[in-house]
Order: sequence, then C-alpha cells, then structure tokens
Amino acid sequence: MSLTEILGREALAPHVTVLVDRCAGCQECIVRCPTGALTLEPDTWTAVADDTLCVGCRQCVRTCPFAAITVAGALVTAPRCDPAIHHPVPLLGDRTETRRGLHSWADALPEASRCLECPDPTCVRGCPAHNDIPGFIAALAEGDLDGAHQVLRRTSILPDVCSRVCDQALQCEGACSWSLAGGTPVAIGALERFVTDNAPAPPLGLSSELGQGLEVAVVGSGPAGAAAAWALAEAGAQVTVFEKDEVPGGLLRWGIPDFTLPAALAVRPWEALVRAGVHLRCGTTVRVEEMDGLLAGHDAVIVANGAGSPLVPPVPGTDLDAVWDASRFLTEAGDALATGRPLPGLGGDRDGSQPGRVPTVLVLGGGNTAMDVARSARRLGAHAICVDWMDRRFAPVRPDELEEAEAEGVEVRFTTTLERLEGRGGRVSTAWLCRTRQERADRRPQVQGGSAQPQAVDLVVMAMGYRIDPEMARRWPGVPLAKLVPELPEREWLGSGLFANPAPPYARHQPVGRLAVGRESTRRLAALPRAERLWVVGDALVGPSTVVEAMAQGKEAALAVLERSPRRPGRSPRPGPRRVLVAYESRGGRTAAAAGMVADELTARGAAVRVLPLAQVGVPELSQADLVAIGTWVEGAVVAGVGPARATRAWLRRLPRLGDLPVAVFCTYGVAPRGTLSQLRAALQGKGARVVAEGAFRGHARDPIARQAAARFAAVVGERLDEELADRSPVEVSPATA
Amino acid sequence: MSETSTADGAVARRDPVKVPIRLRPVVATGAREHFAITDPPAGWDIARHPRVARVLRSRRFQFALILPNQIVFWLVIVLGLAGTVIPGLNFGTAITWYLWFCLVFVMMVTVGRAWCAMCPFGGFGEWVQRHTFWKRTQRSLGLGLKVPEPIARYGFLWSIGTFVGLTYIEEHFNIAVPGVPSATSWMVVGIVASALIFFLLFERRSFCRYFCPLTAIIGTIGAVGSAAGFRTRDRSVCLDCKTKDCMRGGESGYGCPWYTWPGSADSNLACGLCSECYKACPSQNVGFFLQRPLSSVIAPLRRRADVAWGIVILWGLVLFQQVNAFTPYATTDSWLNRELHFPGYPDPVSYFGIIAVIALAMAGIAWGTARALARRDLPWHTVGRTFLERRTRFRAFFLPMAYGLIPVVGADYFARQLPKFFKHVSRLIPAIGHPLGFGSTHSPLYNVRLLGNPQIIAVQVAVIAAGTLAAVFTSWRIANRDLAPIAAHPRVARWIAVGTAVACGLAAGSLYVFMNAAS
Repeated sequence: MSLTEILGREALAPHVTVLVDRCAGCQECIVRCPTGALTLEPDTWTAVADDTLCVGCRQCVRTCPFAAITVAGALVTAPRCDPAIHHPVPLLGDRTETRRGLHSWADALPEASRCLECPDPTCVRGCPAHNDIPGFIAALAEGDLDGAHQVLRRTSILPDVCSRVCDQALQCEGACSWSLAGGTPVAIGALERFVTDNAPAPPLGLSSELGQGLEVAVVGSGPAGAAAAWALAEAGAQVTVFEKDEVPGGLLRWGIPDFTLPAALAVRPWEALVRAGVHLRCGTTVRVEEMDGLLAGHDAVIVANGAGSPLVPPVPGTDLDAVWDASRFLTEAGDALATGRPLPGLGGDRDGSQPGRVPTVLVLGGGNTAMDVARSARRLGAHAICVDWMDRRFAPVRPDELEEAEAEGVEVRFTTTLERLEGRGGRVSTAWLCRTRQERADRRPQVQGGSAQPQAVDLVVMAMGYRIDPEMARRWPGVPLAKLVPELPEREWLGSGLFANPAPPYARHQPVGRLAVGRESTRRLAALPRAERLWVVGDALVGPSTVVEAMAQGKEAALAVLERSPRRPGRSPRPGPRRVLVAYESRGGRTAAAAGMVADELTARGAAVRVLPLAQVGVPELSQADLVAIGTWVEGAVVAGVGPARATRAWLRRLPRLGDLPVAVFCTYGVAPRGTLSQLRAALQGKGARVVAEGAFRGHARDPIARQAAARFAAVVGERLDEELADRSPVEVSPATA
Repeated sequence: MSETSTADGAVARRDPVKVPIRLRPVVATGAREHFAITDPPAGWDIARHPRVARVLRSRRFQFALILPNQIVFWLVIVLGLAGTVIPGLNFGTAITWYLWFCLVFVMMVTVGRAWCAMCPFGGFGEWVQRHTFWKRTQRSLGLGLKVPEPIARYGFLWSIGTFVGLTYIEEHFNIAVPGVPSATSWMVVGIVASALIFFLLFERRSFCRYFCPLTAIIGTIGAVGSAAGFRTRDRSVCLDCKTKDCMRGGESGYGCPWYTWPGSADSNLACGLCSECYKACPSQNVGFFLQRPLSSVIAPLRRRADVAWGIVILWGLVLFQQVNAFTPYATTDSWLNRELHFPGYPDPVSYFGIIAVIALAMAGIAWGTARALARRDLPWHTVGRTFLERRTRFRAFFLPMAYGLIPVVGADYFARQLPKFFKHVSRLIPAIGHPLGFGSTHSPLYNVRLLGNPQIIAVQVAVIAAGTLAAVFTSWRIANRDLAPIAAHPRVARWIAVGTAVACGLAAGSLYVFMNAAS
C-alpha cells in the first residue's frame, strides 16, 4: 500500500487501480470512459489507466462487470452554478416566475463545461423522454443555441415546460455521472431552460410521410395529447384534438400556476399545432361511452384526458360547498390572479363583522400540487395551511418547492391529518386536525388518538392526488398501469452503470435506476393499444404522473399508431407489407425450425417477418407487429399433464394487455400436444389478444409432412392477415402428424 | 429460416436511448493475432453437437453433477463421526483418501476443472447463495461483497496458502493415512462451513476463485488437461456485445461465477466449467472447446506470477511429502520439536522451511538464469505496481520456467496418491458394506492390494517419467517462444529450462524408488 493510500486519497487527485486478476479486457470501461483515461494494454489484454486524464467520475467502476476497477480521490469538477430563486415582494397578486433561468452565457458556459459528455450517458436513461442531454449541452458549449434547441426538440416538444416543472433530481440530474459518483450533477434543467428561453422554438414541419392518409382523434390537450398530436402532425396525419376546456393545455394550463409555469408556455405548442393544420375542438367533452363513436369516425384514437377524479378523504364534512378539489381551486385562483378579481368563497369577512380578517385556506396534502394551491392562496391574500399525514422526511414533495412555499409564508404541517370538518350552510368553519406518526417511508402513518385540535378555516382544498375515471378502468382492464421494475433490467441499462449507485445523495437517496426503469416500462407500454385502434396515454394510462412522462407516452403511442397505421372499417387497407412477429421458445431446435418455416411461408406471401426467440420479445417488438405467431415446445408427461414449456408460461404471465392483437399459436410435440393449444389460447385471451389460428406439428423440421403442416398453418395465418381478421373464430389447422 | 426484417423506422423507435449513445470504439486490432495461439481449433467445439448443447443449456446440468457428490460428502461427514473408528473400514476415510483424491487428480490432468463443476463444497454454498438448486434467480442471499482489491491482487496465492495450511493440518492430525475418520469429517465440515461463510459474504464464487484450498492446484495442474473450457466462437461478436450477459448475467444464466470472460480466456485456468456463460449468451457465441493436452501450459501469453509462485510452492510441498518418508527427516523433525517444544509431527519449521527452501531454490534457478542470460540490450525496467502487474527481468525468466514445470509437478502429486489407491482402494467395498452390516476387517477385500510395492513403484516412476517428458516438451516449447527472444544465449536458456524439468523428474522419481511405495 502506498503512502497516499495510507493517508487517504479522498482529497487527492483521482487514482485508478485496475485489478488485473479480474480484468478480462472486455473493454466495457474503456468504451464508456468519458475522458479516455482507460486504454487497452495489448500485451496483457487488460485495461490500463492514465491517472492524469481521470476526473474521478467512476463510470468505469460502475460499468465493470467483474468489479475489477477501483478509483480513489476526489471528483474533478467545478462547482455547480444554480440560478437564484426569486422571492416576490409584495407577494399579493404576484404572478411572476419564482424560479429563474441562468442569467447569461457567463453562467451557462461554465455549467455546460461540467458535462462529461459520457459515451453511455446515464442522464439520458434518467430522462423519461430520453433527451440527448450530452448532445444539446455540447452544442450549447459551442455557443450554438439553435443547434442545442434542435437536439432537444428531436425528443421533446416541451423542453421549455420540462425545464421548469421536472423534478430533475430524480430524473436526468439524479442519473448524471457526477450524481452517481456521489457528487453534484450538471444543472441540466437550468441549461435546458437557458436554451429554450434564448432560442426560438423551431416550427412544426413535416418530417416523414408515414401518417399520410391517417385520420386520428386525440382526446385531451395536456402534455400527452400535445406530444401525440405533434408526432402525428409531423408525419402528415390528419389530427383532430378534443379538449373539454375552452383553452388547450390541459393540466399545464390549469394545474400549474403562472408563478411556476407561465400560461403562454402551456399554450405555445398548440399555436404551432393549429398553424400546422391540427383541428382543435375546445369545449368538447368526450366521455368513455362515446369512444366507439369516435373510433367509427377515425382510424385511431389516442385517449389522453388525464386522471381527473380527486381523492376525497373519508371524513365527515367533505361534502360541504367550501370543500374544493385542487383543480377547481387552481383554475379559479389562476383566473382571479390574472384578472385581479377576488376568489369566490375566499372572503375573510364573512358576515361583515370582521373587516380585514385574513381568510384561511386549509390544503389537504403535502405534495407539489398542495404547495401550488397554498402558494396561490398566499398570493390571493389568504393564510395557507398544508396538512399531510406523512412524516416530513418521507413527504412526496420537491424540497425546493417546500422551501419556497414556507418562505412565502405557507404553514406546512406534516404528521397531521384531518379528522372532520364542521360548518353550516355549505361553509366550513372548523377543521379538526389530529397528529399522526410515521416511522418508516414504507409504513402507513398511524393516527394518534385523542389529539384532535380545532382549526378555524374558510376554505378546504383537497390536493391529495387524483385517480383515473373509474369508468375508464372498467372499460379497459389493466388501467391504470403499474410501473414495472424487473428484477433483471435490460442489460443495456445495467451495463450503463445506472444501477451501480442505487441511492445517490443528490437524488435524495432515491433509487434513480429503478425509478428510470419503472418510467420506461410505462413509456413502452403506451405503445400497445388498449383496444383495437385505441391507445391510452398519460395520466389516463398510469394515474397521476409527471409532465415529461405523459409527453413521452403520448409520443410513443403516436409512433405506434404511425407504425401500425390502422384503418377504420370501410377504408382501404394500409399500403406496404404486413408486419408479422414469429416468436418461439425452442429447446432442441425443432420449434425454432418450425418458426422458420412459418416465417418463410409468410415472407413468401409478402409479409415483413421478424423471427425472435421468446426471451427477446418485449413490448417494442409486440407493438410493431400486426400479427404475432407464438410457437412453443411441449413440456410434461402425457399421463401427468402436457402444456406449453415452462419458459413460455412464464413469458405469457409477464405479457401485458395486448389490446385485441391478433395472435396465431403453434406448438411442436413428440407424442401428443394435449391441452397445449387450449392453454396458450386461454392465456392469450386473458391478456386481451385475439387467437386467430392454431397449429400443432409433430416430427422434425426436415420431415416433409411436418413442413407441409407448417406451410398449411402459415397459409391460414397469412389468409387471416390478409382478410384483416374478419372472421373472429379460431381455425383449427391440425394436429398434423408425421 | 426467414431473414429477419423490419419495417422502416421500427428499429429507431425501439430504443431511443440508443440515439445519444456514443461509445468509444472497441480495440479489436490485434485481437486475432493475440489470441490465435491460445484459441482452440474451431472444430473442437463439442457444444455444436445438439445433444451436448441440450445438456449444457439445461439449468439442471450442474445440479446433476453436484448432487451425487453432495450425497457422498454428507455421508462422509455423518459416517466419519458416527461410524466405525477403524479408518480402513470407515466410508468417510476410505472414499476420501483412497479414491477421491486420486480421482480428482485424474480429472484435473485429463479435463481441468472438472471437479470444480461438480464440487459439493462450492455447490452447497452456491445453492444457499442463489437460494435455489438450479433455477436462475435474480436476488442472491448474503452480502454480495467483492473481494477487496488488496487481497484479490494476489490471485491464487491465497489458495496456495490454504492448501499448504490444510496439508499441514492433515499431516499434523494424521487425517489421511492411516487416518482418523472423525478428523476427516471435521475437515470436510470445516471446508463446507468456510465455503458457506465466504459464499454468504462475497459475491459469485469468490471462495472458489481465491480461497478454496484446491482451486490453485486444480487450476495450475489442470492446465495439462484437454478441456479448454467455454470460449468464444467469434471474438468480434464478443467484442461488439453491448450487454455482456456472460459476465453480468442474463435471463438464462448467471454472470460467470469465476470472473472469466469467454471472449478473452486464454487458458482453462479459471474456467469452472459451470456453463453459465453458455446459457447466458444471447448470441449463442459461446462454445465448449476441447484442446490438445498441455495447451493451457504452453500457449498463454499472459503468464501469471501467482501461478508461477504457486507451482514452485506446490513443488516444494509435494517434495516435502516425499522427503518426510525418510529417516533423516524424521530425526530432524523430532529434534526440532524437542528444541522448539512443539508437540507433534510435523514441526512447522521443518514443514514450512522445506517448502520455502525448495520454492526459493526453484526461483533462484530462474533468478540466476535471468542474471546470467538476460539480454543486456533490452530495457529491463520494472513495470507495474501490484504483485500481478509487475514485470521484471527475474519474472521474464521465472514465469515461463515455472509454467514449464507444471506437468512434472502434476505427475508428482498424482504419483503420490497412487500407493493409497493401490494398497487400500479395495477397502471401499467393505467400508460401504459396514454400515449395512456386511463389511468388516475380515472381509476378503479388506486386505486385498491391487498392486505390490515393486509394481506401485514402477507405476509411480512411469507416471513421473511421463510427467517429466511432458515437462521437457512444455519447457522446450515455452523456452523457444518466451525465453529465446530475451536471452543472450537462447540455446543455453532452452537447456536450462529443459534441464530443470529433467532434474525435477529425476529427483521425484528417485525419491519414489527409495520411498518403497510408502503411503
């Protein structure tokens, strides 16, 4: 051990140690080192490090599969430059933004220079929209604002919004290499805002002709709807957007106050969309039961109408007129602040006996929406109290949001909950609040009995969250989707090193890798239709979420619509080949050979066919197929029960809802398939798929009779594909035995 | 099979994360030349055979190998403690020392790490760590620590240390022959327990890779074996692979428990033949290759200092086990015990001293050769900071010379086990029968010897002769490639390397003649 090691290297320059015993020369570290400090020693075929180039980001440590690298020493990076917070004085009636952008190039350039431009940027995986963060920062660092803006616009239509409202600590910044190394990340949000504040937004232009002739209805004009409409319009599709409010923007418009997101930014994309020919029908509510009518008139429908049912606490008194939900309060407060009129129901002097009395607004909830409500109330001259039954340590609120709210005079009481409301004539007079206790984040808070205290209030606002319309959940089973975090993430994600630090300090010790994978799961699932020609995205799909996630899902669904390019009955079918996915689970090669024969036959019929082992088939592959043929070998003993292979059954269990996707199933067997096909059929129908053909083949692929059977099966599948699956009853092809 | 095809634009949407990924280019230049000498012939991939492939792909494959040994060694523990105290009649003693140890050496000189694939000690720890017998689980039990770099930098030397230590214990407590059955049991319990502790503390097979008493000896002597292990079929596929499932673990297989990458493996030194990489590879680019005997001794370009030191220490140990059969040693050992007040055989000074002297003598030959023959025109700067990294003039000679001795060291260990086998292995039958009530010291097989002493000596000498011939071959080949270019007098260097091998063989062979087939 060297002297520097004994003295402790944390304060010293970075020093890389490659453990040659375990280093296999796989170069995972070399290809991902941002500074090129690692190279391959050709004599020993191991990595060697140049300490003088190392900045201590520890990307190599995180990506080495065999833990063969250690790095000691400090992170070599300049201090982060954060924009200042604006505290408006006076607060009353103020609508100016409290969070400001970077002031000038003098602030932006040093911050941009902190970006390592990682070859495998974990920040991009942390961003739900997968913005090319190193790309736009590199352009910015070169002084190319327009270029930086164009890079952002490739993946996001709302960079100006996201830079203001995203919780970057849990997304891109939390996943930044500096953050994963335990340091302070690049101020990605601030740089993104600097770009969008100072460079004009590129106009919406036609980028492809994939959507020519396609007529799509989008329900809702929030971030998900806007992103979907944008992607469709860019591809030349004819888009009609239905918005229940008189002004587009959805949650961006009414859910986020002006002091966080100016209204002009929420409306800006719609101005571009309307200019590009998107039909915007405001003031038009589309109910769930009206979706069939919408489908009849359009080739595809994308439902992006959010989660609008507020959660109501189960306590007496919530039915009083002076108990509002957050969306109503924020809408009316926004109008009141914009027009200077008082908010109805917020008169402090109720009966004229207390002139000058300050009204009190009780906000139920301690999240970001609750803070928006309380801060709006403060700007309307009210005293605002937020109560949340969670402990402050575990509260689901951005720390900066909480800090700003408290700085503006909002009284935030954690470990406090509402016991009951009292009032008369619709008005609320007293809220009885009691204490709770929460020891751990994963434990439900416990109400402390006998601790109720009265609190005089004038208005109660419920800001505890929303859920999707129960009617939608009934109509489309599986909605809202849960975020799925597999035990074994995709190895590209694993290899990036995103999971190596499960709880970076900057990310408030949250598991940024798992959070990113969870978000990614819903983004991908948004590509799958919930019913034939109908997609659901945004909060309507997953429940209350974030702007950027909704936007990413909207775009994903739009791209899926463009790829599938469905046509409503009565219209000529989509031009171009049909896409078929042949997925198989094979052990000895027989099923793989059968899959190949089916694929050959379908290819001969003009279809574009992908052949993949079942293990490699995920949501993206499924969402790109017009029809899926699933093959498996048969497992079990004839007397004890025969069924699909264990791996096939496991794959079927993991399968998401397939939204009326036509599926053909086949199996290969040695003695008898028994109930294999019926089990496959039941499992797939349980996932919402439509089984259109079944086949069972015996014998080896070289066997001419087996080949004939496979060809017959493929022919039927092809016919079904050509007929656009008009006949919904499954066709029994075999058993074809050799 | 149909060509895979996708519609335009489909792939671009599949993973938009790929767009901003700008990985540095992989260094592939020189890979072909670097590995050409160590890659087994492409046609020697027996995993191409569908039946072999099916076996290797099965997750139950290793379980099926481990289970019989697991049963045997739990029987060893139970019967060693609860069975008869007569060593020859106790199943634990009989199978462990008369048969198993001999079989392990047969397996290592023919296959390599075959024993590691079926080892019940590591297997048991792995079952617990993975909390499954054969399934692919994603969460492991235990702390999952990595062996710290200051320890891991010494590679197999820890294993050499535990082997030398365990051998001392075995000698001191007379565990093997004539043997104490309960001591054999406790030894096995100790190995199982320590393996379990390490498996719960550290990730993967850190125990097998660093601390197992047998891993170094199997790894080094196994280099003469004909199984190259799991290697890449197409290196460019491995180098371009972005997921490295064989290292990190995939849907169907765990990441290599032995920290070996099929893409760069140049010998069978650290391939545990567990087939996890074969199962995990999403590109079916891993094969199970055979190789010519001695390939892993001769071919590797990356010679390891821990292996070289391990070889000379193992050589010292096996020579000690020969020397200790002679009266002068017994006299010296008794004298040392008396002077140092040590209670029993062997005295630590004599035990460790003899091993150290022999190992240092071997290193001294290399040092002298280097000093005398190293070319003066080459820059002999010390390169590298850690034990395994360091490259010096001494190592440039010592490492190749030590590798060349592997066959004769292996042969010596094998020959050392033969008397026990030929004299006592027939006792295994009565030992099996004894718990069932039909085996005793009066059983005809109890006193049957497969060979008499002269025949045993002949076999021992033949084994040593074969090992010496192999060592001459390997030393000559290695000296031609590795020593000749750096020696001022290449021919002398070759003859010193070969002469050392011959001298080792002569020493071992003559000792066996004088030992008269002592166990």
